[in-house]
Amino acid sequence: MTNTKRIAAVLVVCFSFAGITSIRCVAQEAVDPVQAMSATSRVFRAAVEKIKPSLVTIESFGGVTTVQGRIGGIRKQGEGNTTGILISPDGHIVTSTFNFIQQPPVITVITSDGKRHYAKFLGRDDTRKICVLKIERRGNTFVVPEMIGPKELEVGQWSISVGVGYGDATPAISSGIISATNRIGGRAIQTDANVSPANYGGPLIDIEGRVMGVCVPMNPQSQAIGAGVEWYDSGIGFAIPLADAGPLLEQLKKGESIYPAFLGIRAMANPNGEGVWIEEVVPKSPAKEAGLLRGDAIVAINEVKVKDMLELKKVLNTLNAGQEIEITYIPDGKIKTKKVTANLVRTPQPAGAPEQLEPPKIR
Amino acid sequence: MKTVCMALLSLFLFTGAADDEPKSNFTTKALAVAQPKMAKIYGAAAGQVEGYATGIAISPDGKILTTQGVFLDGKQVRVVLANGKAYEASILRRNRQYQLAILQIQAETPDHFELSREDVGQQGDFIVAVANSFKVADKEEPLSATLGVISLRTSIEARLTKRDVAYKGDLILIDQITSNPGAAGGAVLTLDGKLVGVVGKIINSSETNTRLNYAIPNSVLVDFVENKKTEASTSVAERKPVDVGIKLFAHGGRASPAYVDRVIRGGPAYKAKLKSDDLIVSIGGQTVGNVRQFEDSLKNLESGKEVIIIVKRGTELLRKPIVPREKK
Repeated sequence: MTNTKRIAAVLVVCFSFAGITSIRCVAQEAVDPVQAMSATSRVFRAAVEKIKPSLVTIESFGGVTTVQGRIGGIRKQGEGNTTGILISPDGHIVTSTFNFIQQPPVITVITSDGKRHYAKFLGRDDTRKICVLKIERRGNTFVVPEMIGPKELEVGQWSISVGVGYGDATPAISSGIISATNRIGGRAIQTDANVSPANYGGPLIDIEGRVMGVCVPMNPQSQAIGAGVEWYDSGIGFAIPLADAGPLLEQLKKGESIYPAFLGIRAMANPNGEGVWIEEVVPKSPAKEAGLLRGDAIVAINEVKVKDMLELKKVLNTLNAGQEIEITYIPDGKIKTKKVTANLVRTPQPAGAPEQLEPPKIR
Repeated sequence: MKTVCMALLSLFLFTGAADDEPKSNFTTKALAVAQPKMAKIYGAAAGQVEGYATGIAISPDGKILTTQGVFLDGKQVRVVLANGKAYEASILRRNRQYQLAILQIQAETPDHFELSREDVGQQGDFIVAVANSFKVADKEEPLSATLGVISLRTSIEARLTKRDVAYKGDLILIDQITSNPGAAGGAVLTLDGKLVGVVGKIINSSETNTRLNYAIPNSVLVDFVENKKTEASTSVAERKPVDVGIKLFAHGGRASPAYVDRVIRGGPAYKAKLKSDDLIVSIGGQTVGNVRQFEDSLKNLESGKEVIIIVKRGTELLRKPIVPREKK
């Protein structure tokens, strides 16, 4: 169409409408806000339909029983099923470790075709609260969803959380936006869609049905397994992106696990100057082995300055057990800073707490 | 040609600017429908339970639909209409099963919802909830509006255990937070102003151990208003108890997984070739998470009627037909 023709067409449309009603009305109809929102709802439904074949329902049997609604100090999740996402055509599933705080010895999985499978627990990443299960393929390969990485996301874009935790075969959905694309040391993205035990382990998807991440409970100040669940449905929700997590997932598929880092100090903001003042060093801890003593003041970890315990915890929460770190500190009574390296270890399990979840033992 | 376009454009701009119509967004219609029909309800507080709720006018002669709750148990229940006028209300009817109540005030309520059984709204549709959460609105102030989408239309019977304060029946899970004091009885509408249902009272889901945000759908509201007796589930109670001939490991109490300890010779499980150490995963379509759930699921089975039992043996899941027998 030539330019002139196009303008002519526009004119014809304008005037024919103007004949019936005012031009103002035409302008309003073209952007009717209710119609626009209803179109958005249709897009949501299409996105959810697209992810459905890759969703699984996880059932668990047995495990630690609760004491007054808690398990080793962790708030118990409900009695219902939980959600997982197929990530390989031959039956690897990613879900949240939160779904297994009762350490069930037996896990089964129902795929979208209604078939029930026995599931093996492979590896877990306690810093991201995700884990990998494996089911055996019978016949057709499983449908793996499309993924979208955090670098391709924009704050403010639509996001939909999906989960089967309410017990219906049809998943429940919640819509929201991406609130942040880089949280918890780059491990998580943040959304204001509802994230709760109803969809931990389930996907956070974009309007094209691509997986932005796996919904998990998270709290930037704590890596405890149940931390973050207190923020359920609060508008502060987290998801772990999988698009660039290939090497990590391969590790978990092999049954290897990743644990939060432990340094081994009790400390407070330094009343005499900069940094964090060490009150106590745990015996045999990485801090002890690096030669830190009571009275020393840590000023930086891996060149990142720390002013108080909160900042120190934030830095440690970006690290895993097994990593080597460089600590900059001011020895007690000195002025010049010194540098040491420490090898982070896994947090010692306090007495009385449940043991870490191990792969289920077959009876 | 360009000039013509410019002229047209300025015409658009001009008519737009000259218009005195109130600004309109995607919630305008729904809120215009709802707000005049809403009521603030105040009653008795009991301990930590709030003494207030929300309601909707459902007839021209002063009938107000709200939620059932302890706030109705005091000496006086007060209803404040959208125009700010307060009336003393009498309780026409209240019902534990629906968790709903109808109040009567001596006033005309020309602005009211016409209830219908229509299922309004589907998953993903945007909805506005209008409710007096935390009694933020006072007198003639409009109630608080929140935006969300329909999460799921479902039935709660399978979702809540008997321990939960019960609302039984269909419900609509929504994703804005309505599980706040005072919100129950509020209106939930689609953006085109149709009533989806009313906000239900605060309940916890045993499935997720979280508070549910939900609306009680129109069909249930009509059932209650028309005073329909619900089909009592006597059929289950009258059913004779059945047995499948299994003794379970019970050392860990009723919360332990349903492992088969012993199969009784000649019984239904024996005929289905179940073995010791099998883990019962499901029977008759119901998932069996533990010993208690196994006992519960037996109550829904009939003697002589074949169902499927799924057991885990080693790393395999086996599906077996089994015919329950009458319990001796």
